[in-house]
Amino acid sequence: MTYIATFFSHFGAIRYKKLCDAQGFAARTMPVPRSLSSSCGTCVRCEGGFVEPSGVCAEEVDRIAEVTEDGYVFVYHSEEHAHGT
Amino acid sequence: MTLKNEKRNMIFAGLVIGVIASLLVLFGNPKNMGFCVACFLRDTAGALGLHSAEAVQYIRPEIIGLVFGSFFMALAKKEFSPRGGSAPVTRFVLGMFVMIGSLMFLGCPFRMILRLAGGDLNALLGLAGFACGILVGVFFLNKGYSLKRSYALTKAEGGVFPVLTLAVLALLLAAPAFIHFTEAGAGPGAMHAPILISLIAGLAVGALAQRARLCMVGGIRDLVLFKETKLILGFAAILVGALVCNLILSGTTGTSYFHLGFADQPVAHTDGLWNFLGMMLTGFACVLLGGCPLRQLILSGEGSSDSAVTIFGLLAGAAFCHNFGLASSAKGPTANGKAAVIIGLVAALVIAGVNTFKKENAK
Repeated sequence: MTYIATFFSHFGAIRYKKLCDAQGFAARTMPVPRSLSSSCGTCVRCEGGFVEPSGVCAEEVDRIAEVTEDGYVFVYHSEEHAHGT
Repeated sequence: MTLKNEKRNMIFAGLVIGVIASLLVLFGNPKNMGFCVACFLRDTAGALGLHSAEAVQYIRPEIIGLVFGSFFMALAKKEFSPRGGSAPVTRFVLGMFVMIGSLMFLGCPFRMILRLAGGDLNALLGLAGFACGILVGVFFLNKGYSLKRSYALTKAEGGVFPVLTLAVLALLLAAPAFIHFTEAGAGPGAMHAPILISLIAGLAVGALAQRARLCMVGGIRDLVLFKETKLILGFAAILVGALVCNLILSGTTGTSYFHLGFADQPVAHTDGLWNFLGMMLTGFACVLLGGCPLRQLILSGEGSSDSAVTIFGLLAGAAFCHNFGLASSAKGPTANGKAAVIIGLVAALVIAGVNTFKKENAK
Protein backbone atom coordinates (compact mmCIF):
# COMPACT_ATOMS: atom_id res chain seq x y z
CA MET A 1 0.00 0.00 0.00
CA THR A 2 1.08 3.54 -0.70
CA TYR A 3 0.59 6.48 1.65
CA ILE A 4 1.14 10.20 1.21
CA ALA A 5 1.85 12.37 4.22
CA THR A 6 1.45 16.16 4.03
CA PHE A 7 3.08 18.64 6.40
CA PHE A 8 2.88 22.17 7.74
CA SER A 9 6.45 22.86 6.59
CA HIS A 10 9.14 21.52 4.25
CA PHE A 11 11.31 20.85 7.28
CA GLY A 12 8.62 18.60 8.77
CA ALA A 13 8.64 16.52 5.58
CA ILE A 14 12.41 16.07 5.68
CA ARG A 15 12.28 15.04 9.33
CA TYR A 16 9.41 12.57 8.73
CA LYS A 17 11.23 10.99 5.78
CA LYS A 18 14.26 10.37 7.99
CA LEU A 19 11.92 8.74 10.51
CA CYS A 20 10.46 6.48 7.81
CA ASP A 21 13.94 5.56 6.57
CA ALA A 22 15.00 4.68 10.11
CA GLN A 23 11.95 2.43 10.56
CA GLY A 24 12.47 0.62 7.27
CA PHE A 25 9.67 2.17 5.16
CA ALA A 26 10.63 3.13 1.62
CA ALA A 27 9.93 6.85 1.53
CA ARG A 28 10.68 9.79 -0.73
CA THR A 29 9.90 13.49 -0.68
CA MET A 30 7.97 15.02 -3.57
CA PRO A 31 5.69 18.01 -4.33
CA VAL A 32 2.20 17.65 -2.81
CA PRO A 33 -0.24 16.35 -5.48
CA ARG A 34 -2.67 19.14 -6.46
CA SER A 35 -5.66 16.87 -5.87
CA LEU A 36 -4.60 16.45 -2.26
CA SER A 37 -3.93 20.06 -1.35
CA SER A 38 -3.70 23.59 -2.73
CA SER A 39 -0.42 23.93 -0.81
CA CYS A 40 2.72 23.92 -2.94
CA GLY A 41 4.76 22.28 -0.22
CA THR A 42 6.55 18.98 0.16
CA CYS A 43 4.95 15.62 0.95
CA VAL A 44 6.39 12.20 1.75
CA ARG A 45 5.31 9.15 -0.24
CA CYS A 46 5.68 5.93 1.78
CA GLU A 47 5.44 2.39 0.42
CA GLY A 48 4.22 -0.55 2.49
CA GLY A 49 3.20 1.44 5.56
CA PHE A 50 3.72 4.68 7.40
CA VAL A 51 5.09 5.90 10.69
CA GLU A 52 2.33 6.88 13.12
CA PRO A 53 3.07 10.52 14.03
CA SER A 54 3.87 11.10 17.68
CA GLY A 55 5.78 13.58 19.82
CA VAL A 56 7.51 16.43 17.97
CA CYS A 57 6.73 14.76 14.63
CA ALA A 58 2.97 14.96 15.28
CA GLU A 59 3.20 18.76 15.38
CA GLU A 60 4.47 18.79 11.81
CA VAL A 61 2.23 16.22 10.09
CA ASP A 62 -0.98 17.63 8.62
CA ARG A 63 -2.61 14.54 7.13
CA ILE A 64 -1.73 11.05 5.88
CA ALA A 65 -3.74 9.52 3.04
CA GLU A 66 -3.78 6.02 1.62
CA VAL A 67 -3.62 6.04 -2.17
CA THR A 68 -6.47 3.91 -3.56
CA GLU A 69 -7.87 3.36 -7.05
CA ASP A 70 -10.75 5.70 -6.15
CA GLY A 71 -8.55 8.45 -4.77
CA TYR A 72 -7.26 9.27 -1.31
CA VAL A 73 -8.53 7.80 1.95
CA PHE A 74 -7.31 9.74 4.96
CA VAL A 75 -5.88 7.54 7.70
CA TYR A 76 -4.49 10.31 9.90
CA HIS A 77 -5.49 13.91 10.60
CA SER A 78 -3.76 16.53 12.68
CA GLU A 79 -5.76 17.93 15.58
CA GLU A 80 -6.73 20.93 13.44
CA HIS A 81 -8.52 18.69 10.96
CA ALA A 82 -9.95 16.51 13.72
CA HIS A 83 -11.66 19.65 15.06
CA GLY A 84 -12.91 20.53 11.61
CA THR A 85 -10.87 23.70 11.20
CA MET B 1 -6.01 13.92 -10.91
CA THR B 2 -2.91 12.28 -12.35
CA LEU B 3 0.43 14.06 -12.67
CA LYS B 4 -0.05 14.04 -16.45
CA ASN B 5 -3.37 15.89 -16.07
CA GLU B 6 -1.81 18.31 -13.60
CA LYS B 7 0.93 19.09 -16.14
CA ARG B 8 -1.64 19.56 -18.92
CA ASN B 9 -3.63 21.97 -16.74
CA MET B 10 -0.46 23.83 -15.82
CA ILE B 11 0.52 24.29 -19.48
CA PHE B 12 -3.00 25.47 -20.33
CA ALA B 13 -3.00 27.95 -17.44
CA GLY B 14 0.46 29.24 -18.38
CA LEU B 15 -0.45 29.75 -22.03
CA VAL B 16 -3.66 31.60 -21.18
CA ILE B 17 -1.88 33.76 -18.59
CA GLY B 18 0.86 34.59 -21.11
CA VAL B 19 -1.71 35.66 -23.70
CA ILE B 20 -3.64 37.76 -21.16
CA ALA B 21 -0.42 39.49 -20.08
CA SER B 22 0.46 40.30 -23.68
CA LEU B 23 -3.03 41.62 -24.42
CA LEU B 24 -2.93 43.92 -21.39
CA VAL B 25 -0.08 45.78 -23.11
CA LEU B 26 -2.25 46.14 -26.21
CA PHE B 27 -4.94 47.66 -23.96
CA GLY B 28 -2.58 50.19 -22.42
CA ASN B 29 -0.18 48.71 -19.84
CA PRO B 30 3.54 49.56 -20.26
CA LYS B 31 5.41 47.34 -22.72
CA ASN B 32 6.63 43.99 -21.36
CA MET B 33 4.56 44.80 -18.26
CA GLY B 34 1.18 43.22 -18.85
CA PHE B 35 1.67 41.94 -15.33
CA CYS B 36 4.34 42.76 -12.78
CA VAL B 37 3.42 42.11 -9.17
CA ALA B 38 6.38 44.15 -7.88
CA CYS B 39 5.76 47.13 -10.19
CA PHE B 40 2.01 47.05 -9.62
CA LEU B 41 2.38 46.93 -5.83
CA ARG B 42 4.90 49.77 -6.16
CA ASP B 43 2.40 51.80 -8.20
CA THR B 44 -0.32 51.05 -5.65
CA ALA B 45 1.97 52.10 -2.78
CA GLY B 46 2.55 55.38 -4.61
CA ALA B 47 -1.15 55.94 -5.20
CA LEU B 48 -1.77 55.44 -1.47
CA GLY B 49 0.89 58.05 -0.69
CA LEU B 50 3.46 55.62 0.73
CA HIS B 51 6.01 57.12 -1.64
CA SER B 52 6.04 60.27 -3.73
CA ALA B 53 7.58 59.15 -7.04
CA GLU B 54 5.04 60.87 -9.31
CA ALA B 55 5.86 58.68 -12.32
CA VAL B 56 4.69 55.47 -10.65
CA GLN B 57 1.41 56.09 -8.84
CA TYR B 58 -1.71 54.16 -9.76
CA ILE B 59 -3.91 51.61 -7.99
CA ARG B 60 -3.46 48.64 -10.29
CA PRO B 61 -6.73 46.70 -10.63
CA GLU B 62 -4.77 43.60 -11.69
CA ILE B 63 -3.52 43.21 -8.09
CA ILE B 64 -7.07 43.42 -6.75
CA GLY B 65 -8.21 40.92 -9.39
CA LEU B 66 -5.45 38.46 -8.53
CA VAL B 67 -6.46 38.40 -4.87
CA PHE B 68 -10.17 38.05 -5.64
CA GLY B 69 -9.65 35.53 -8.43
CA SER B 70 -7.89 33.32 -5.94
CA PHE B 71 -10.37 34.12 -3.17
CA PHE B 72 -13.44 33.18 -5.23
CA MET B 73 -11.80 30.07 -6.66
CA ALA B 74 -10.70 28.94 -3.19
CA LEU B 75 -14.22 29.48 -1.85
CA ALA B 76 -15.78 27.61 -4.78
CA LYS B 77 -13.42 24.65 -4.35
CA LYS B 78 -13.66 24.68 -0.54
CA GLU B 79 -9.96 25.51 -0.28
CA PHE B 80 -10.33 28.81 1.57
CA SER B 81 -8.27 28.02 4.64
CA PRO B 82 -7.24 30.89 6.93
CA ARG B 83 -3.82 30.13 8.37
CA GLY B 84 -0.93 32.11 9.80
CA GLY B 85 1.51 32.64 12.61
CA SER B 86 4.67 31.44 10.88
CA ALA B 87 7.37 34.05 11.64
CA PRO B 88 5.34 37.09 10.50
CA VAL B 89 8.01 39.73 11.16
CA THR B 90 10.66 37.70 9.32
CA ARG B 91 8.26 37.35 6.39
CA PHE B 92 7.65 41.12 6.41
CA VAL B 93 11.41 41.75 6.22
CA LEU B 94 11.92 39.16 3.48
CA GLY B 95 9.03 40.74 1.54
CA MET B 96 10.80 44.11 1.74
CA PHE B 97 13.99 42.63 0.32
CA VAL B 98 12.11 40.79 -2.44
CA MET B 99 10.83 44.20 -3.54
CA ILE B 100 14.28 45.81 -3.30
CA GLY B 101 15.76 43.02 -5.47
CA SER B 102 12.88 43.24 -7.94
CA LEU B 103 13.12 47.01 -8.29
CA MET B 104 16.87 46.73 -8.84
CA PHE B 105 16.05 44.50 -11.83
CA LEU B 106 12.82 46.41 -12.62
CA GLY B 107 10.40 43.53 -12.43
CA CYS B 108 9.21 40.59 -10.40
CA PRO B 109 9.83 37.01 -11.63
CA PHE B 110 6.53 37.20 -13.58
CA ARG B 111 7.68 40.32 -15.45
CA MET B 112 11.08 38.72 -15.97
CA ILE B 113 9.33 36.12 -18.15
CA LEU B 114 7.30 38.81 -19.92
CA ARG B 115 10.48 40.82 -20.59
CA LEU B 116 11.99 37.72 -22.20
CA ALA B 117 8.81 37.27 -24.24
CA GLY B 118 9.24 40.85 -25.47
CA GLY B 119 12.82 40.14 -26.60
CA ASP B 120 14.53 41.92 -23.67
CA LEU B 121 17.78 39.95 -23.31
CA ASN B 122 18.68 41.79 -20.08
CA ALA B 123 16.15 39.47 -18.49
CA LEU B 124 18.48 36.52 -19.24
CA LEU B 125 20.90 37.97 -16.68
CA GLY B 126 17.98 38.37 -14.30
CA LEU B 127 16.93 34.76 -14.92
CA ALA B 128 20.47 33.53 -14.24
CA GLY B 129 20.58 35.48 -10.97
CA PHE B 130 17.08 34.30 -10.05
CA ALA B 131 18.11 30.65 -10.56
CA CYS B 132 21.28 31.16 -8.49
CA GLY B 133 19.27 32.72 -5.68
CA ILE B 134 16.88 29.78 -5.72
CA LEU B 135 19.81 27.34 -5.58
CA VAL B 136 21.17 29.10 -2.50
CA GLY B 137 17.71 28.89 -0.93
CA VAL B 138 17.41 25.19 -1.78
CA PHE B 139 20.78 24.60 -0.08
CA PHE B 140 19.32 25.94 3.14
CA LEU B 141 16.03 24.03 2.66
CA ASN B 142 18.02 20.80 2.41
CA LYS B 143 19.95 21.71 5.56
CA GLY B 144 16.72 22.09 7.55
CA TYR B 145 15.62 25.74 7.01
CA SER B 146 12.18 26.42 8.43
CA LEU B 147 10.16 29.45 9.52
CA LYS B 148 8.10 26.98 11.56
CA ARG B 149 4.57 25.90 10.88
CA SER B 150 1.47 28.00 10.48
CA TYR B 151 -1.75 27.47 12.41
CA ALA B 152 -5.44 27.52 11.54
CA LEU B 153 -7.07 30.91 12.08
CA THR B 154 -10.66 32.10 12.12
CA LYS B 155 -12.54 32.77 8.88
CA ALA B 156 -12.77 36.41 9.96
CA GLU B 157 -8.97 36.70 10.11
CA GLY B 158 -8.66 35.11 6.67
CA GLY B 159 -11.19 37.58 5.31
CA VAL B 160 -9.39 40.73 6.49
CA PHE B 161 -6.98 40.94 3.56
CA PRO B 162 -9.66 40.50 0.87
CA VAL B 163 -11.72 43.21 2.62
CA LEU B 164 -8.72 45.56 2.63
CA THR B 165 -8.23 44.80 -1.05
CA LEU B 166 -11.88 45.67 -1.65
CA ALA B 167 -11.33 48.98 0.16
CA VAL B 168 -8.42 49.73 -2.19
CA LEU B 169 -10.71 49.01 -5.16
CA ALA B 170 -13.22 51.48 -3.70
CA LEU B 171 -10.46 54.11 -3.49
CA LEU B 172 -9.57 53.49 -7.13
CA LEU B 173 -13.18 53.91 -8.25
CA ALA B 174 -13.94 56.89 -6.00
CA ALA B 175 -10.55 58.51 -6.69
CA PRO B 176 -10.63 60.95 -3.75
CA ALA B 177 -8.15 63.85 -3.78
CA PHE B 178 -5.74 62.15 -1.35
CA ILE B 179 -5.11 59.28 -3.78
CA HIS B 180 -2.27 60.01 -6.20
CA PHE B 181 -2.41 59.15 -9.89
CA THR B 182 0.43 59.73 -12.34
CA GLU B 183 -0.56 62.40 -14.84
CA ALA B 184 -0.86 61.41 -18.49
CA GLY B 185 2.53 61.13 -20.16
CA ALA B 186 4.40 61.51 -16.86
CA GLY B 187 5.55 57.90 -16.51
CA PRO B 188 4.63 54.20 -16.44
CA GLY B 189 1.99 54.87 -13.79
CA ALA B 190 -0.08 56.69 -16.40
CA MET B 191 0.03 53.73 -18.77
CA HIS B 192 -2.72 51.31 -17.99
CA ALA B 193 -5.51 49.30 -19.52
CA PRO B 194 -9.11 50.36 -18.71
CA ILE B 195 -10.06 49.46 -15.13
CA LEU B 196 -12.63 46.81 -16.05
CA ILE B 197 -10.27 45.01 -18.43
CA SER B 198 -7.45 45.07 -15.87
CA LEU B 199 -9.77 43.79 -13.17
CA ILE B 200 -11.14 40.95 -15.31
CA ALA B 201 -7.60 40.00 -16.39
CA GLY B 202 -6.51 39.90 -12.76
CA LEU B 203 -9.52 37.80 -11.76
CA ALA B 204 -8.85 35.30 -14.56
CA VAL B 205 -5.14 35.00 -13.82
CA GLY B 206 -5.79 34.78 -10.07
CA ALA B 207 -8.28 31.96 -10.54
CA LEU B 208 -6.02 30.08 -12.95
CA ALA B 209 -2.96 30.53 -10.74
CA GLN B 210 -4.90 29.27 -7.72
CA ARG B 211 -6.07 26.14 -9.55
CA ALA B 212 -2.66 25.42 -11.07
CA ARG B 213 -0.64 26.50 -7.99
CA LEU B 214 1.49 28.52 -10.38
CA CYS B 215 4.71 29.78 -8.81
CA MET B 216 7.74 31.22 -10.57
CA VAL B 217 10.09 30.21 -7.76
CA GLY B 218 8.54 26.78 -7.23
CA GLY B 219 9.35 25.74 -10.80
CA ILE B 220 13.12 25.89 -10.42
CA ARG B 221 12.94 24.82 -6.75
CA ASP B 222 10.97 21.64 -7.51
CA LEU B 223 13.18 20.85 -10.50
CA VAL B 224 16.26 20.97 -8.27
CA LEU B 225 14.72 19.37 -5.18
CA PHE B 226 12.60 16.64 -6.77
CA LYS B 227 13.45 16.57 -10.51
CA GLU B 228 9.77 17.52 -10.93
CA THR B 229 8.94 19.62 -14.01
CA LYS B 230 5.27 20.48 -13.46
CA LEU B 231 5.64 23.99 -12.04
CA ILE B 232 8.40 25.00 -14.44
CA LEU B 233 6.13 23.99 -17.32
CA GLY B 234 3.84 26.82 -16.24
CA PHE B 235 6.80 29.20 -16.30
CA ALA B 236 7.69 28.04 -19.84
CA ALA B 237 4.07 28.15 -21.02
CA ILE B 238 3.71 31.81 -19.94
CA LEU B 239 6.83 32.60 -21.96
CA VAL B 240 5.50 30.80 -25.05
CA GLY B 241 1.99 32.26 -24.73
CA ALA B 242 3.22 35.84 -24.33
CA LEU B 243 5.92 35.48 -27.01
CA VAL B 244 3.53 34.11 -29.64
CA CYS B 245 0.90 36.74 -28.79
CA ASN B 246 3.54 39.52 -28.94
CA LEU B 247 4.64 38.34 -32.38
CA ILE B 248 1.04 38.13 -33.62
CA LEU B 249 0.29 41.63 -32.28
CA SER B 250 3.46 42.98 -33.88
CA GLY B 251 2.40 41.51 -37.21
CA THR B 252 -1.19 42.71 -37.09
CA THR B 253 -1.24 46.08 -35.33
CA GLY B 254 1.69 47.94 -36.89
CA THR B 255 3.21 48.45 -33.42
CA SER B 256 6.21 46.43 -32.27
CA TYR B 257 5.62 44.27 -29.20
CA PHE B 258 8.86 42.30 -29.67
CA HIS B 259 12.27 43.92 -29.83
CA LEU B 260 15.22 41.55 -29.52
CA GLY B 261 18.33 42.92 -27.84
CA PHE B 262 19.76 44.55 -24.74
CA ALA B 263 19.52 48.26 -25.50
CA ASP B 264 16.44 50.48 -25.55
CA GLN B 265 14.15 48.01 -23.83
CA PRO B 266 11.02 49.40 -22.14
CA VAL B 267 11.31 50.06 -18.38
CA ALA B 268 14.67 48.27 -18.19
CA HIS B 269 18.40 48.99 -17.86
CA THR B 270 21.42 47.21 -19.27
CA ASP B 271 23.59 46.76 -16.16
CA GLY B 272 23.98 42.98 -16.27
CA LEU B 273 25.70 42.57 -12.91
CA TRP B 274 22.95 44.36 -11.02
CA ASN B 275 20.19 42.71 -13.02
CA PHE B 276 21.79 39.44 -11.90
CA LEU B 277 22.24 40.40 -8.26
CA GLY B 278 18.80 41.99 -7.94
CA MET B 279 17.05 38.85 -9.11
CA MET B 280 19.41 36.69 -7.07
CA LEU B 281 18.17 38.48 -3.97
CA THR B 282 14.58 38.05 -5.14
CA GLY B 283 15.01 34.33 -5.87
CA PHE B 284 16.77 33.63 -2.59
CA ALA B 285 14.27 35.55 -0.45
CA CYS B 286 11.31 34.01 -2.29
CA VAL B 287 12.53 30.47 -1.53
CA LEU B 288 12.84 31.46 2.13
CA LEU B 289 9.24 32.76 1.94
CA GLY B 290 7.98 29.68 0.09
CA GLY B 291 6.78 31.43 -3.07
CA CYS B 292 7.13 34.29 -5.53
CA PRO B 293 5.20 37.59 -5.19
CA LEU B 294 2.41 36.27 -7.44
CA ARG B 295 2.06 33.17 -5.28
CA GLN B 296 1.94 35.36 -2.15
CA LEU B 297 -1.04 37.24 -3.60
CA ILE B 298 -2.76 33.98 -4.49
CA LEU B 299 -2.16 32.53 -1.02
CA SER B 300 -3.46 35.71 0.62
CA GLY B 301 -6.66 35.18 -1.36
CA GLU B 302 -6.81 31.63 0.03
CA GLY B 303 -6.70 33.05 3.56
CA SER B 304 -2.99 32.99 4.41
CA SER B 305 -2.20 35.82 6.81
CA ASP B 306 1.51 34.94 6.47
CA SER B 307 1.27 35.84 2.79
CA ALA B 308 -0.75 38.97 3.60
CA VAL B 309 2.06 40.08 5.93
CA THR B 310 4.55 39.37 3.14
CA ILE B 311 2.55 41.65 0.83
CA PHE B 312 2.64 44.40 3.44
CA GLY B 313 6.42 43.87 3.44
CA LEU B 314 6.46 44.19 -0.36
CA LEU B 315 4.48 47.44 -0.12
CA ALA B 316 6.81 48.82 2.55
CA GLY B 317 9.79 47.74 0.46
CA ALA B 318 8.36 49.61 -2.53
CA ALA B 319 7.95 52.75 -0.42
CA PHE B 320 11.55 52.50 0.82
CA CYS B 321 12.78 51.93 -2.73
CA HIS B 322 11.41 55.24 -3.92
CA ASN B 323 11.79 57.25 -0.70
CA PHE B 324 15.47 56.24 -0.34
CA GLY B 325 16.40 56.21 -4.03
CA LEU B 326 16.92 52.44 -4.21
CA ALA B 327 14.88 51.69 -7.33
CA SER B 328 16.65 51.51 -10.68
CA SER B 329 15.49 53.45 -13.73
CA ALA B 330 16.14 53.12 -17.45
CA LYS B 331 19.44 54.95 -16.74
CA GLY B 332 20.58 52.11 -14.50
CA PRO B 333 20.85 51.21 -10.84
CA THR B 334 21.59 53.75 -8.12
CA ALA B 335 24.41 53.63 -5.57
CA ASN B 336 21.81 53.42 -2.79
CA GLY B 337 20.09 50.56 -4.60
CA LYS B 338 23.35 48.62 -4.93
CA ALA B 339 24.03 49.04 -1.21
CA ALA B 340 20.46 47.91 -0.41
CA VAL B 341 20.78 44.76 -2.53
CA ILE B 342 24.05 43.83 -0.81
CA ILE B 343 22.42 44.45 2.59
CA GLY B 344 19.48 42.34 1.43
CA LEU B 345 21.69 39.42 0.41
CA VAL B 346 23.49 39.53 3.76
CA ALA B 347 20.17 39.81 5.65
CA ALA B 348 18.71 36.87 3.72
CA LEU B 349 21.81 34.79 4.49
CA VAL B 350 21.51 35.64 8.18
CA ILE B 351 17.78 34.82 8.22
CA ALA B 352 18.45 31.55 6.39
CA GLY B 353 21.33 30.64 8.68
CA VAL B 354 19.54 31.48 11.92
CA ASN B 355 16.48 29.47 10.87
CA THR B 356 18.53 26.52 9.60
CA PHE B 357 21.28 25.85 12.07
CA LYS B 358 19.39 26.22 15.33
CA LYS B 359 19.55 23.24 17.67
CA GLU B 360 16.14 21.72 17.07
CA ASN B 361 16.62 21.77 13.28
CA ALA B 362 19.94 20.01 13.51
CA LYS B 363 18.34 16.89 15.01
